[in-house]
Amino acid sequence: MADLGRAALFVSLGLAVYATVVGAWAARTHKRRLSDSAGNALLAALGSTAVAAAVLLSALLRHDFSFAYVAQHTSTELPTGYSISAFWGGQEGSLLLWLLVLTAYASAAVLINRRRAPDLVAWSVPVLGAVAVFFAFMLVAVSSPFETQTAPIEGAGLNPSLQNPYMLAHPPLLYLGYVGLTVPFAFGMGALLAGRTDERWIVATRRWTLVAWTALGVGQLLGAHWAYVEVGWGGYYAWDPVENAALMPWLAATAFLHSVMIQEKRGMLKVWNVLLVILAFCLSLFGTFLTRSGVVNSIHSFTESPLGPWFLGFICVVTAGSLALVFWRLPLLRTKTRLESLVSREAAFLYNNLLLVALCLTILWGVAFPMLSELVRGETRTVGRPYYDFFLRTFGLPLLLLMGIGPLIAWRRASLRSLGRMFVWPAGIAVAVGVVLLALGAGSSTPGLVAYTFSAFVLATIVLEFVRGTRAVGSFTQLVGRNRRRYGGYIVHASVVLLALGVAGSGAYGSTAERKLSPGQSLSVAGYTLTYRSLSQQRGANHIALRAAVDVSRGDKLVARVQPGKNRYFAEQQVSNEMAIHTDWLRAEDVDVIADQINPGGAIYFKVLVKPLVNLIWVAGLVFLAGALVALWPDAREQRRLAARYALAEA
Amino acid sequence: MTVALVLAALVATAAVLLVAVPFLREPAPNEDTLPEPKDSGKRALAHAEERDRALSALKELEFDHRTGKLSDADYRELVGAYRRRAAAALQGIEPAK
Amino acid sequence: MIALSIAGVLAIFLLYTSIAGGGTPTLKPSQLAGHQDRVSLVGKVTGQPTGDGHDTALRFHLRDRDGTAAVPVVYRGSVPDLFKPGREVVVQGKLVNGMFVAAPGTLVTKCPSKYAPAKSSNT
Repeated sequence: MADLGRAALFVSLGLAVYATVVGAWAARTHKRRLSDSAGNALLAALGSTAVAAAVLLSALLRHDFSFAYVAQHTSTELPTGYSISAFWGGQEGSLLLWLLVLTAYASAAVLINRRRAPDLVAWSVPVLGAVAVFFAFMLVAVSSPFETQTAPIEGAGLNPSLQNPYMLAHPPLLYLGYVGLTVPFAFGMGALLAGRTDERWIVATRRWTLVAWTALGVGQLLGAHWAYVEVGWGGYYAWDPVENAALMPWLAATAFLHSVMIQEKRGMLKVWNVLLVILAFCLSLFGTFLTRSGVVNSIHSFTESPLGPWFLGFICVVTAGSLALVFWRLPLLRTKTRLESLVSREAAFLYNNLLLVALCLTILWGVAFPMLSELVRGETRTVGRPYYDFFLRTFGLPLLLLMGIGPLIAWRRASLRSLGRMFVWPAGIAVAVGVVLLALGAGSSTPGLVAYTFSAFVLATIVLEFVRGTRAVGSFTQLVGRNRRRYGGYIVHASVVLLALGVAGSGAYGSTAERKLSPGQSLSVAGYTLTYRSLSQQRGANHIALRAAVDVSRGDKLVARVQPGKNRYFAEQQVSNEMAIHTDWLRAEDVDVIADQINPGGAIYFKVLVKPLVNLIWVAGLVFLAGALVALWPDAREQRRLAARYALAEA
Repeated sequence: MTVALVLAALVATAAVLLVAVPFLREPAPNEDTLPEPKDSGKRALAHAEERDRALSALKELEFDHRTGKLSDADYRELVGAYRRRAAAALQGIEPAK
Repeated sequence: MIALSIAGVLAIFLLYTSIAGGGTPTLKPSQLAGHQDRVSLVGKVTGQPTGDGHDTALRFHLRDRDGTAAVPVVYRGSVPDLFKPGREVVVQGKLVNGMFVAAPGTLVTKCPSKYAPAKSSNT
């Protein structure tokens, strides 16, 4: 069966090459049937890649250890769900997933748009094909999931920290996001190649970008929650290169989502938008590269693989090629429209873009620094948390404030008079909140206090927007229904505020305590008293679980009983930390109890972390999803208007 | 093993067929050129986008005024220019129609 | 205006790096000699580690991943579950009189398989 997989991937490669070469030729010579044929090649590539994926999946489910990949990533004791997730647990499988999602997206994009915008699709097909060629080539020649061997009796199993339901959701969501950015990129390049300067490519890919961006955002939050709950150090983001690998394209995509609104309203920033979509796509390739090669010292990936140089080469080719394309079409894209005022919504969007891109680039610098310093000085130097925290504050806090200011300003030009009137209420509320918080002791952290105050400002602004809008239109549902993107966007802004509150609270106002306790002893932190009662042992499907019974009290009242401990996995010979979390909803904080070290005699070294507001981060994820869905929801009226507009051109 | 080979052959054949479909469906078409916007079409499109922008700007101006973001004075100052722009953009379309 | 903002961003960036310095060097045991500053040491654990990090200091030897140069390390703080001889670890600290004195809580193991967030110390 491995032969079938290999053959199917070979067919995919051939089809991708056809789509690229023939597609480009057809677009150049304006041949309709040939262009349709190239588009069909992408559809067929979906089929053959799906066959390859099915072969791998069936091998994983059957625990067929003659497949080297299956032996490396599963074991006979592994529960079925995790055997499935092993598909993307390793390098070869994740490349296959990339190709599968890519061909799926490409097929959908081609099918939906080929009759409506044939010239645009004609040039987008070769771009999509070229990306597919790279991944198919990697799978066929460099990193094949279908290597066979004499089947060992038992497989290596899945790393214990990956045996978590999140393993089924987090990577696929991220891939839906990463790969999703290919479609706007391809259409953007397609528009340039076709010599079109209108918004067609943006309109065609607007939903794609939103979906990819949402998937990346939710995927990252799931990853953060996973890290918080599973890895057991009480944190959720370590500025690890692989974590940053997903954050950077997300920031670029956020900037892009905002700046295309300016192009839509004012017809400006065409070059900037195209550059942003290139940046977002290259960063998503870079992200895949970071996760899959051992180039950067990272907790996530260290095995040096042959993949590295290939990926780097491909990213360079893509960057150089797309920039050359932009440069060639620069005269067409230039517009005469200028910014009318530094105090206008366009200007606010522009500041937002600059801050987002600045944050993105400083993170990129931090990630690339070790590689660059090695090249230049021969010595690897890394930057740590203080670097990232500084820039997150420097760029993030103004961004937070801007989220509140932007909606209050009118397009084109806002008079300072009307601005003042708009700001009175939210600013007043923010100042009041700030004073109250200061009195409550929040002054211990200046950035924290600033974050809280700005958040109050933005939340007040958003609420006012909804109130004023409903008053003007008459009904809430009509308001949101007619302006889905705007009000969906406001909901997303609210989610970002919640995220900021959660990050600021748990980061700036947390407490910790650690002590070695024998049964019966206790320690106190932030008003809680934790008493260690006893240690027990239980056998699970593929592990032994050690658990400490700990009582958590506040004053005299027993608030919770938690069971921190460790799991010892047989097949993998590894130990995982099982942190216990007690969530106090009323006090809005988490108490994280870690059994850091379990001594044979029964004494345990405990670490306790109190994290205020940390759960707002996860709530933010839900609000984010809701807002994105509102923004995504199709608007029949707008669709008709756009269709009529483009029918004019194709007439 | 042979099952694998047969299936692989099937996949390859299906792929070739799918790619050939456009040519099999119309062996001798009347017109084999890719429909592309001509210069007149591109101009009409540019006008349409300009028209949509002007109309939406006017709508937003009204909405901003209704929700209080724009004072009466500012609104009166701007609405005239916005209306004229929208009218001009609408007229720009007529000839191409 | 864009040019001004770019200049502004660069200015902030340069200000930061000039104050905070250009990152922490990551070195192998064989590269340690002569360094007086705080560095990140990366290598494989060898020999028999003693101590538990909390009651008694954890003492172990770290050698180059592909090499034999080794250095003794003394560490206090949380010890990751995956720590054992043969594992690759990263720890920050300074070389003092031939002994690498680690900064508390900075010991992190690298897990040999891909895609595993094996971080178990709070950095």
